[in-house]
Amino acid sequence: MPEGALCNKQPVDTEEQLKALLADKGGQTYYEEMKHLDVDVEMLRQTLGKSLKSRLRTWLSMCARCGMCADSCFFYRINDRDPKQVPAYKIQSTLGEIVRKNGKVDNAFMHMAMETAWAKCTCCNRCAMYCPHGIDVGVMISYLRGLLYQQGFVPWEMKVGAGMHRVYRAQMDVTPEDFVDTFEWMVEEYEEDYPGLNVPVDKDDADILYTVNAREVKHYPEDLAEAAILFNIAGENWTVPSKGWELTSLAMFAGDWEACRLQVESVYDAMERLKPKRMVGTECGHAHRATVVEGPYWAGRSDGLPPVKSIHYVEWVAEALRTGNLKIDPEKRIKEPVTIQDSCNYIRNHGLRDVTREIMSYIAEPGYFIDMTPNGEHNYCCGGGGGFNGIGLYRPQRNKALITKRDQIMQTGASLVIAPCHNCWDAIRDLEEEYQIGIRWSFLKPLLIDMVIVPEHMKPKE
Amino acid sequence: MHAFLTGPMFYISIAVLVIGLLVRVVRYVRGLDWKLDRVAYRAHRKAGIKGAARSIFKWLVPFGTRSWRVQPVMTVVFFVFHIGVLAVPLFLLAHNMFLEEKLGFSFFTLPAPAAEILSWAVLAAALVLVLRRIALPEVRILTTFHDYFILALTAAPFVTGLICRYDPANYDFWLLVHIAAGELLLILIPFTKLSHVVTFFLSRAQIGMDFGIKRGGMKGKGMAW
Amino acid sequence: MFDRILLATSATEACDHAARVAFNMAERYKSYLNIFHVLGLPTRAYSQDVIDVKTRERVTADEEYIAWVKEEIRGYYERLLEKTGENYGIEVAVGAPHREILRAARNNDPDLIVMGGSTGHMEDSAYKKTTAGSTFQRVARAAHCPVLVVTRPAASFWGGFSRIVLGTDFSEASDVAFEYALQLARALDCELFLFHAVDISAMAMGKVMAQDDIEENLRVARRRMRSRYVPKMPDFESYTMDAWEGLPYVEITKYAREKQADLIVMAHHARRDVSEKVPMGSTMEQVIVRAACPVLSINRGVKK
Repeated sequence: MPEGALCNKQPVDTEEQLKALLADKGGQTYYEEMKHLDVDVEMLRQTLGKSLKSRLRTWLSMCARCGMCADSCFFYRINDRDPKQVPAYKIQSTLGEIVRKNGKVDNAFMHMAMETAWAKCTCCNRCAMYCPHGIDVGVMISYLRGLLYQQGFVPWEMKVGAGMHRVYRAQMDVTPEDFVDTFEWMVEEYEEDYPGLNVPVDKDDADILYTVNAREVKHYPEDLAEAAILFNIAGENWTVPSKGWELTSLAMFAGDWEACRLQVESVYDAMERLKPKRMVGTECGHAHRATVVEGPYWAGRSDGLPPVKSIHYVEWVAEALRTGNLKIDPEKRIKEPVTIQDSCNYIRNHGLRDVTREIMSYIAEPGYFIDMTPNGEHNYCCGGGGGFNGIGLYRPQRNKALITKRDQIMQTGASLVIAPCHNCWDAIRDLEEEYQIGIRWSFLKPLLIDMVIVPEHMKPKE
Repeated sequence: MHAFLTGPMFYISIAVLVIGLLVRVVRYVRGLDWKLDRVAYRAHRKAGIKGAARSIFKWLVPFGTRSWRVQPVMTVVFFVFHIGVLAVPLFLLAHNMFLEEKLGFSFFTLPAPAAEILSWAVLAAALVLVLRRIALPEVRILTTFHDYFILALTAAPFVTGLICRYDPANYDFWLLVHIAAGELLLILIPFTKLSHVVTFFLSRAQIGMDFGIKRGGMKGKGMAW
Repeated sequence: MFDRILLATSATEACDHAARVAFNMAERYKSYLNIFHVLGLPTRAYSQDVIDVKTRERVTADEEYIAWVKEEIRGYYERLLEKTGENYGIEVAVGAPHREILRAARNNDPDLIVMGGSTGHMEDSAYKKTTAGSTFQRVARAAHCPVLVVTRPAASFWGGFSRIVLGTDFSEASDVAFEYALQLARALDCELFLFHAVDISAMAMGKVMAQDDIEENLRVARRRMRSRYVPKMPDFESYTMDAWEGLPYVEITKYAREKQADLIVMAHHARRDVSEKVPMGSTMEQVIVRAACPVLSINRGVKK
């Protein structure tokens, strides 16, 4: 059987297809069908011919096989230094083989490649910093994911996720109506506590266009309320778009570049429609990477930048604290050992290390902030990045991958871990559940809400 | 034979080397694609050049990057090997005299004892690199025949050169072998992984531009290599 | 008064007392009973896997599973369902419990939310630690209708309400609670006991109080009660007013016991969840775990 009903080379484009795929418990039938899925060698060759150009080809062929990348990879370190977890090996045994065999690979090979691409690499790009030749295996694995996606060899949740973006322009089945309604609900819930709280929807020419992660809308709407409260306290002229509010891109994890383009264009359309001065995205790492760092290229923007200046939430917080728009009550600063998780997607891959350190200097009592080792650009992945958190098939591998972060956190002695990234936050939540090391973890928003000085006009009169 | 190797064959090897590497460079640069690589090379030239320069420079300095610092043994072996491999052929007195005669120019000359020590150091480093490939599982799994081949190819002129130095009886024979080994090396550089004499700079410049333009170079203080 | 009741339940023993109260109320006041169960947050991002509250196993919360859970709930409450007849519905949602309860309350607009104590399981789960405060705290803070919580077996009752204790601290929120208690007492023909406890603990007052001070405080409290509440119930007579001194939660509990109250009404006014920072919890939390009758929590936002 070449193509399955669920597992095939067709992306999910309609709600019915999506529902059919979701109805397949954990992808049981899907993975069964995958065992019989054919490899379209001709298509693979054509794709390689079109997209494997000098940078990737050179990386593949010039690799000196020196193994200096081995220790940079947290998978290698926690899996008893298994040589098969060396980044260079992972890419040479997959993409390298495909190129050497000019696409003539079989189903078993593709299964192996799929596991390598999604369960042995989170595309954290750390190895790129350790290779003398500057070979970025994370970038190549991401490229490999694209090939595998095109051939239908992609974990079930990734196919679902990419399909969500195609159907809903969001990573979950959250419609624009749901989004606006949830924001309104949150205002209802919090306006008693913060008089004057409001959420301007689709306001033209605002200073800030705020975009979020669909999960906040679906499961953690408090996060939306907190964002609204902080913007209001800081006196920002802000707005949310009724359409194009989803910052994330599971399609990027899946390697569905077409869906990536569709998704990011919906956000750029909102920017062009509402003409804000800048965009601020929520506390999410991959979403920032997708919409701000990689997105312009998917959308074919030759300057490599989104239509308006776009910043991560930590940049906004640092700025608001610096300018005094948000003032921290010194009494309420964090007075327990606290550390911060550096998200690969905007620290290593977008240079925001000093920004988060600046935030810590305002919100933690001096002496209580302890950095992890290593940190900043050299920090390890939380263990759940690149879609790893979401893939049921690879849950055991994921749980093992959390050990790196667990040990790093324990080394700091921190009881509170600040994780301004959804993926990191999830991974740290899961590592606490799995290993119970007695930590709490938090986004920045709830901590800030407890610490900021609320201006008189926003205090409830009682 | 000697005349051929030092005459036409010398020019041929130099030509193959230079043209081969030039082709490499041109093809690499032409194959860069801002959309596929997702780096806006043209739009942010200044940030790109800065990123590229940092990326190359930091890695050329021993212990200049965290990667070099966390693997000190490898770093020492690596730099000794590369310094020797470059310095001895270029700065040896005999080579300079030869260059002066053939091409009409010459470089600075290394004192003979220094060249000798460096040559031995190169061979010692090459040996360590070979042993490392055999001993360390994480390197062994990556190693292919090609990797040993280029190491042998690189070491051959040094071995034969040193024999010339210590075996005056068969000097003429070993000199021929030495010249042949050297020319073979020059010819094969563009066609093997030894092409990294240029691709190292290209690839480092490219990743430097990637981080310099797109991945934070225009935000923070530049990549903390 | 109680046309629609939302019973938020884990369908386990932890909620049995709450369920009994809810079903009894539904029977007595002919209410539509919405039995609402939350499966918990997906255990991993963008998936449907949740931890089953009962078995603690990881399951896929798809339509098939949810249908099965509904059947399970129907089975669990089989005997109690005789009380409601057809006048009930069962809903199952996936998400953070407090959030989904609030969402259901927003969509269904019930007159009352009934909740049980903690399920026990959730206590040690990782979700709880990050979302400060118990599910009850968070629901009570934000709900736009009163929240009735029943944690102790003794707190479940068989008949309707007849003796209502209102614990007041003279806050704006307490005024809302008073209005509601009065309305309830009128509608259901109950006796209303207005009560204030003067906190004499050194911790609250900053010193050990002299007896004269205490008595003065009690006099003031009675005066305040009279001036604040009596004008608001011109045509209502079956009320009593008292002020006692002591630890507020102890005094309210004792008072309710003495008056054989079958309902305590109190205002909830934690702005954000405070339970994490106040280890013993608020007066409300303490009354809830100690009272021998259901406790009704009202916040400022409850619609009149």
